Amino acid sequence: MKDLVIKGKWLKRELIILAAVFLLAVIINIIGIVQHDTKWIEMISQLHVVIILTVILYVLLWIIRSVIYVLVLPFKRKKEETK
Amino acid sequence: MIYKQSRRDFLQKTALITGGLFLGSHFPDLKAQSVIEGGNGKIVRLGLIGSGSRGQYLMTHINLIPGVEVVAVCDNYQPNLNKGVEMTGGKAEPFDDYSKLLDKDDIDGIIIATPLYLHSVMAVDALNAGLHVFCEKAMAKTPSECLDMYRAQQKTGKILLIGHQRMFNPKYLKAFEMINHGQLGDITQIRAYWHRNNDWRREVPEPGLEKTINWRLYWDYSEGLMTELGSHQIQVANFIKKDFPRRVSGTGSINYWHDGREVFDNVNLVYEYPDGSSLIYDSMINNAHYGLEEQIMGPKGTMELEIGRMYSENPPPAPGILQLLNNIEHKIFDPLPLGGKSWIPETEVKNIGEYIYEVDLEDDGTALEMEGFAQMIREDHHSDILLREAYYASIAAVLGNEAIKKGEVIEFPEEYIL
Repeated sequence: MKDLVIKGKWLKRELIILAAVFLLAVIINIIGIVQHDTKWIEMISQLHVVIILTVILYVLLWIIRSVIYVLVLPFKRKKEETK
Repeated sequence: MIYKQSRRDFLQKTALITGGLFLGSHFPDLKAQSVIEGGNGKIVRLGLIGSGSRGQYLMTHINLIPGVEVVAVCDNYQPNLNKGVEMTGGKAEPFDDYSKLLDKDDIDGIIIATPLYLHSVMAVDALNAGLHVFCEKAMAKTPSECLDMYRAQQKTGKILLIGHQRMFNPKYLKAFEMINHGQLGDITQIRAYWHRNNDWRREVPEPGLEKTINWRLYWDYSEGLMTELGSHQIQVANFIKKDFPRRVSGTGSINYWHDGREVFDNVNLVYEYPDGSSLIYDSMINNAHYGLEEQIMGPKGTMELEIGRMYSENPPPAPGILQLLNNIEHKIFDPLPLGGKSWIPETEVKNIGEYIYEVDLEDDGTALEMEGFAQMIREDHHSDILLREAYYASIAAVLGNEAIKKGEVIEFPEEYIL
């Protein structure tokens, strides 16, 4: 069985993406509160929605990134072969 | 949150709610009966007249109440009498004639769970014999019998409680309190219905016993759906309106169960209250999809008492983030209209509402009602409010049948207004 090695650089990048996505979800919550004139307590009371939204956005982003990676992979290999 | 709890917890919590603001300040008589546990130590000795299915159901509750004993059972149908005595562990004295049971000098009160046509004569005899009486609903078969019972209570001063158990159901009491505090605004309309899908028949061992056992199906013994089911819901409506209907009109027929019965298998009535509001009532026994419900409507909201939910006309808005996400979703997925709609169908508002009373009730009020009756006996406290409620609801139920039979609008007779 091959060991799965998580590199520190990769982990740091994923955490930064997750933090950015969380920040985006918080901004969406703020926009929602302002736009619909609801209570600021929703910054805390709707934290569960923000977290769910964060997970959804992160997964979506991961799917998009995976698709891009798969599409770019042949070109990357060709470039390495020509080196 | 809905939660299950021990009976003791339930009674204590219920006492806090039902013994509180509403019942204490507006309906003081109800406060005393709302929740009781233990009592003052006096053993309450009861006689049961009518140990058929309803009588047996009441006995299952009575047997669980500390300090209450059924010491005599009366029924003229031997299998039911045997069953009734058996439910007391063989301790109760059996009778096949209720007047002999009334002669017993060691009972405090009686429970009447007989066919409707016998309620009045039995209750009046019992009251005159100096006994407290719990009588199953409806009060009696005719307005004059209801009045006889009321007068007998007034004359003797003994307790006369009619089996409208919703008046002991904490969920209903909480709803009454909320309505009384104006949470729905003025009550402008009440809709109530009770739908079942069965023939309402009991098995008859021999043809000669048909009317003894299936008494609900024959006019000489019963007033059918209106007294067996409708009177409960009319009583709820009256209590909420703090009044009783002055006019009733409607239709009814046998449109499905053509099996020799006499009473209607479907009824549809409109009861009118003096303030112009109405109770729209229907009952049937060939479709159970909608079950039973009392829908209380006012300009500020609606309550559905059976399921125990309240729906505000102006519910608080959803959190901003959910509204925003919902808008985004609609912009992406909704079809683009080519032209504006000239008319939007006013279909039911999708509002799940909120619970009136956040306790998982396993009892429909019958257990508390039995406890209440026992405590009323211990305290020698009669509730005129409850009796009047039962009186007006029972007469209104009977008048509903009269309106159907005559095909006329029936006014509440002046001579029966207390």
